[in-house]
Amino acid sequence: MELLELSDNNLFLLSLAAVAFPLLSFLIVLFGKKNSGPAFPILNLSVSFIISLSVFLAVWNATPVHPQVEWFTLGTKVYKAGILLNNLSVLMMLLVSGISLLVHIYSISYMKGDGNIHKYWAYLGLFCFSMMGLVITDSLLLLYMFWELVGFSSYLLIGFWFTKEAASQAAKKAFIMNRIGDLGFLTGIMIIYTQFGTFDLVALFDSGGLVDSSSIIDSMWISSHSQMPVVWLSTAGLAFFIGAIAKSAQFPLHTWLPDAMEGPTSVSSLIHAATMVAAGVFLLGRVYPLFDSISLNVITIIGVLTAFMAATIAMTQNDIKRILAYSTISQLGFMVAAMGIGAYGESLFHLTTHAFFKCLLFLAAGAVIHQLHHYKEHHQLEFDHQDIRLMGGLRKQMPLAFLTMSVSAAALAGLPLTSGFLSKDALLISSFEWAQGYHGFKKLVPYILTLTSWLTVFYIARLIIKVFLGKSRFEGISEVPSAMSTVLIVLACCSFFLLFSINPFSFESSWVLRGFSSAGVKRFENMHLTVPAIVNIISIVIILVAFKLYRKGEAKAFSDRGFLYRFSNNAWYFDNAYNLLFVSSLERLSHLSSRFDILIIDGLVNLIARLMNMLSGISDWFDRNIVDGLVNGIAAFAGKAGKFSRLFQNGKLQHYLITMVSLVITFFIITYFI
Amino acid sequence: MNNILSILIFLPLIAALAIILMPSGFKERFKYIALGTSVVQFFITIVIYINFNTSAAFAGINIESQFQLIEKVSWIRLDLGSIGKLEIDYFLGIDGMSMPFLMLSALVMFVATLASWEIKTNLKAFFALLLLLNTAVMGVFCSLDFFLFYIFYELMLLPLYFLIGMWGGVRREYAAIKFFLYTLFGSVFMLLIIIGLYFSVLNPATGNHTFNMILMMDPGNYLGSSIFSTVANQNVLGISARLLAFIVLFIAFAIKVPIVPFHTWLPDAHVEAPTPVSIILAGLLLKVGGYGILRVCYSIFPDAAIQSAWWIGLIGVISIIYGALNALAQTDLKRLIAYSSVSHMGFVILGIASGTTEGVSGAMLQMISHGGLSAMLFFLVGMLYNRVHDREIANFRGLALVMPQFTAFVMIAFFASLGLPGFSAFMAEAFSLIGAFTSQDVNGLLPRWMAIGGSVGILLSAAYFLWTLQRMFFGITRLKGGDEWLSRLKDVSVREKFALVPLAVLALALGIFPSLIFNKMNASVLAFIEMISG
Amino acid sequence: MIPISHFMLISAALFCIGLYAVLTKRNAIQVLIGIEFMINAAVLNFVALGRLDKFAGGGQMFALFAIVLAAAGVAVALAIILNVYKHFRTINPAKIDTLKD
Repeated sequence: MELLELSDNNLFLLSLAAVAFPLLSFLIVLFGKKNSGPAFPILNLSVSFIISLSVFLAVWNATPVHPQVEWFTLGTKVYKAGILLNNLSVLMMLLVSGISLLVHIYSISYMKGDGNIHKYWAYLGLFCFSMMGLVITDSLLLLYMFWELVGFSSYLLIGFWFTKEAASQAAKKAFIMNRIGDLGFLTGIMIIYTQFGTFDLVALFDSGGLVDSSSIIDSMWISSHSQMPVVWLSTAGLAFFIGAIAKSAQFPLHTWLPDAMEGPTSVSSLIHAATMVAAGVFLLGRVYPLFDSISLNVITIIGVLTAFMAATIAMTQNDIKRILAYSTISQLGFMVAAMGIGAYGESLFHLTTHAFFKCLLFLAAGAVIHQLHHYKEHHQLEFDHQDIRLMGGLRKQMPLAFLTMSVSAAALAGLPLTSGFLSKDALLISSFEWAQGYHGFKKLVPYILTLTSWLTVFYIARLIIKVFLGKSRFEGISEVPSAMSTVLIVLACCSFFLLFSINPFSFESSWVLRGFSSAGVKRFENMHLTVPAIVNIISIVIILVAFKLYRKGEAKAFSDRGFLYRFSNNAWYFDNAYNLLFVSSLERLSHLSSRFDILIIDGLVNLIARLMNMLSGISDWFDRNIVDGLVNGIAAFAGKAGKFSRLFQNGKLQHYLITMVSLVITFFIITYFI
Repeated sequence: MNNILSILIFLPLIAALAIILMPSGFKERFKYIALGTSVVQFFITIVIYINFNTSAAFAGINIESQFQLIEKVSWIRLDLGSIGKLEIDYFLGIDGMSMPFLMLSALVMFVATLASWEIKTNLKAFFALLLLLNTAVMGVFCSLDFFLFYIFYELMLLPLYFLIGMWGGVRREYAAIKFFLYTLFGSVFMLLIIIGLYFSVLNPATGNHTFNMILMMDPGNYLGSSIFSTVANQNVLGISARLLAFIVLFIAFAIKVPIVPFHTWLPDAHVEAPTPVSIILAGLLLKVGGYGILRVCYSIFPDAAIQSAWWIGLIGVISIIYGALNALAQTDLKRLIAYSSVSHMGFVILGIASGTTEGVSGAMLQMISHGGLSAMLFFLVGMLYNRVHDREIANFRGLALVMPQFTAFVMIAFFASLGLPGFSAFMAEAFSLIGAFTSQDVNGLLPRWMAIGGSVGILLSAAYFLWTLQRMFFGITRLKGGDEWLSRLKDVSVREKFALVPLAVLALALGIFPSLIFNKMNASVLAFIEMISG
Repeated sequence: MIPISHFMLISAALFCIGLYAVLTKRNAIQVLIGIEFMINAAVLNFVALGRLDKFAGGGQMFALFAIVLAAAGVAVALAIILNVYKHFRTINPAKIDTLKD
């Protein structure tokens, strides 16, 4: 079903334009006038969004479009650059440009008055460019390039307030941890390239493509191009997964995301909740055919573990953005786990719905932070305006923020009528269905995911109650400006079921899910009823419990002193462990190697130099004293002999006579006696 | 224009003579003469670049007729009686392996000349030596006669010694001597090999012994009983003579590259050298090493090169990781960049060792890319040093607030160097690593773990560059020199932009359109691969 | 008959006394006397050995000849000593060392 008729060539140009407009925005704003205002980037983004929409309508559920141009030649191989428009990429395109546009509009008010605002717009433009490029490119190499560019723009935006020590630290940490993932990604690319000799995603991963048609014979992984031991197949899958782990902030490379909250909230919302972090899941989707059972198992375990871990951490955090950050990690864990169990479509569906409601959560939180920050500056107070323990009762002053945040919280909790209900149910049900076919730890997967979803309900309820309910503590906080509130309302509308499915209770009627074919699992009809029912009933109970616990505002649910509390509050001590294990040991290693360089290698060089010097000293001494000494010795002997014989010629007659006589006598003695 | 290469080489020499002959009253003009020379050279190289024939029939490498812009004049013919006739030619020519370096040389010389504005003493000698160095570098990249090559190769040392020793920092004499002896150590043994080669190779056309490098590449030209003959397989000290010769030549060039453990001259020379000399050292001299390995070691002794590929690859990986680790520990910005050069040149070695099209192309691109980027980095450090005479990382903080444009350039240079996609270093490093990885399947030279080990260097380079960025440029401004420094830290001037912008553009252009270089050298790389594997 | 060796011994003693005087005396006249002693030792030997000569009187002849020569030599030597004294104001041979270069 094609909703819009466009020729392939037009599509190609249009998608290029959709990618190029944000880049234009980046270049012009960065090199243009310093205070050019938000009009230009927003215009660019709108154009990009409209183009994305038309491309989406033309390509969704139609035959994929895959135009290419020659990029460069190396040896006998021609490397092509091109774009691949299929359901996955056009959906992501729409998502990225749409949410970017909303965040741009939101930022007009949110970032107002910042001295470097033009840079902010430029960086956002760069981010949109790289993200759009990432989703539509058709080559692994280009994908990797945009992948890193996304990380780079994230670096710029996290460190946007670079005078803040924590911000520049966080930016560095994010980039370096992402680099670890990039190494995995690069390794994956190298394996794929070695095995198949191409970077082309279509040639590689299409059904019947190179990956599909490669086979395993006698534990050798054989393709038409080359062959290698089968262990490299799993390695390739895991290598790509490491890339996804870093970008999607999965265990064990998740620690950068909470720190990344040092950036502006609008950035956190766009990059670290809705779009960039989803790139990891997107990558898993792109290279999905590559994964063998080992990789899939690892993906499942990591996803489940991350989802659970992050949810437990989110329960005790007090910084509003950090709670949401851990929530994001947890939700990404859901998506990754879904990928691992083969629920490809469900995972992408959750990605889509999550993008909207998590973006909204952040933006609403941003609204609260924004107003509190102004309140703080206005009254010249000193307190942490992101600490939920200090908030409370804001529902009266900021009803819109309260409402929209509640909607998104409900979506996150997966309550009925929200988009989150659809996608989370889809996920949980497919995990239960999948687990039916297995034994052992795999049986546990759906239960842990369900438990995690209850934890989710708890921490998000805690957040809402602590921030908006209870006694009001601040007087004179007003509602947010219109640019921000419009965006909140639009996103709240997108968090309801209607955007995704006509039927609020059936995820299977959702158009997103239908756009992707999942691996077929045996369908268990009864689960489609029992799982959502049980999950939601318990969720509501949890909300009530949370309400009872936190209504007063002062009460604490857990003792501060318990080990579990501290374990959770310190985020399972990952940062401490990493600092101890990797950061400081790397530092020590580098110092060691520097010492080695100076003392041993350079020392050796200097030692050789000194030995040479010594040797030359010895040779100098030898030359001076022995060689030259001999010469001088001969000369001195001659001189001395001359001096001695001079003694005889002293002009005294009698001495001459004595000499003569003694010579004659000597001669006489020699002749006659010897 | 069939003597365009000679013009390219000797133009700076003429300019140097002109400077020497001019009265000292003109000393303010010297830099403009030098600058003009490099600009003219740059235009010449652009003309060469545009007219360069990229077809396989002009691949060069080991077929004399396939070289372009050949100039061959009999130079020295000396009858040596029973040994034969000495045959040394003035023999120039370029192929896809050398042409990119000509452009790079002209560009780096241009930047180095712009950086020479900071030199205040003894201008006449400085610019004359700089131009002499220019001649030598151009000559190395063009010569096809080993004797001529060696002359230019040694000629580079002389001006560099004086440039470091006279205009350098506090420990300049130590650094200059160290640099000189280190490099001379390599090249002295090289001379032995050259002589050995001379007596092994006969010019089939004239029947004389010859220094012609291209004739040396053909095993058929070797005398059957000669020391380097492939047939006779002679041994010296229990090792095959060809292998030994390869190792000696490799070490001679590898000292220039430099590889661990022959790298310690580099940090000292860089730190003590004045900015323009640092730029030339990092931008060109290191490339002479890489070029020599390709043009001489691999081309003349391909069999020995294949034999020792594993070790060369290992050296590459060690250089990458070791250089990066050391860079992480440095407290002096210039030293940090010097060590990062060691790390980045490791990719060149690794790529060459792989013996694959991807690897060698990546290595070539890495040399070009690193030539531009290291010139940029050293220029930037020079700017900072010139303003406040300090380079300690810990003495600066929050420079982004004081010098925003400077910070922007530093960020471009840093991110380009750490291999951000879109910049040339990424393409180069990625293809070096891909080449190393595919090597096991294509020719079985390098194991796969080397590529993965090398990629750790990419991670470490991100660590040391970003850490430096965070420490020096971000945060609240706090300078050791206080307000005095603040007043001296002016942002980028127009002259400096003239130097920095072309380098940034080069990095960006090659990153997005690597075909700008790849296309020009592709035929040569293919011929090269065929030669070493065949 | 007195054996020949007695003459020889006396002559040798005379010669040695003369030589001693020539070598050690710090007065040119005494040196001259030493020289006379040595000449007379030779003359004594001439006379004593002349006895063994087949040609009679040969020894005495030579002795006379030598005495005459010695007398002439003394005359010349005294003249030199006088001149030396005039020139150097001394006749101590140790003080007169202009023979050295």
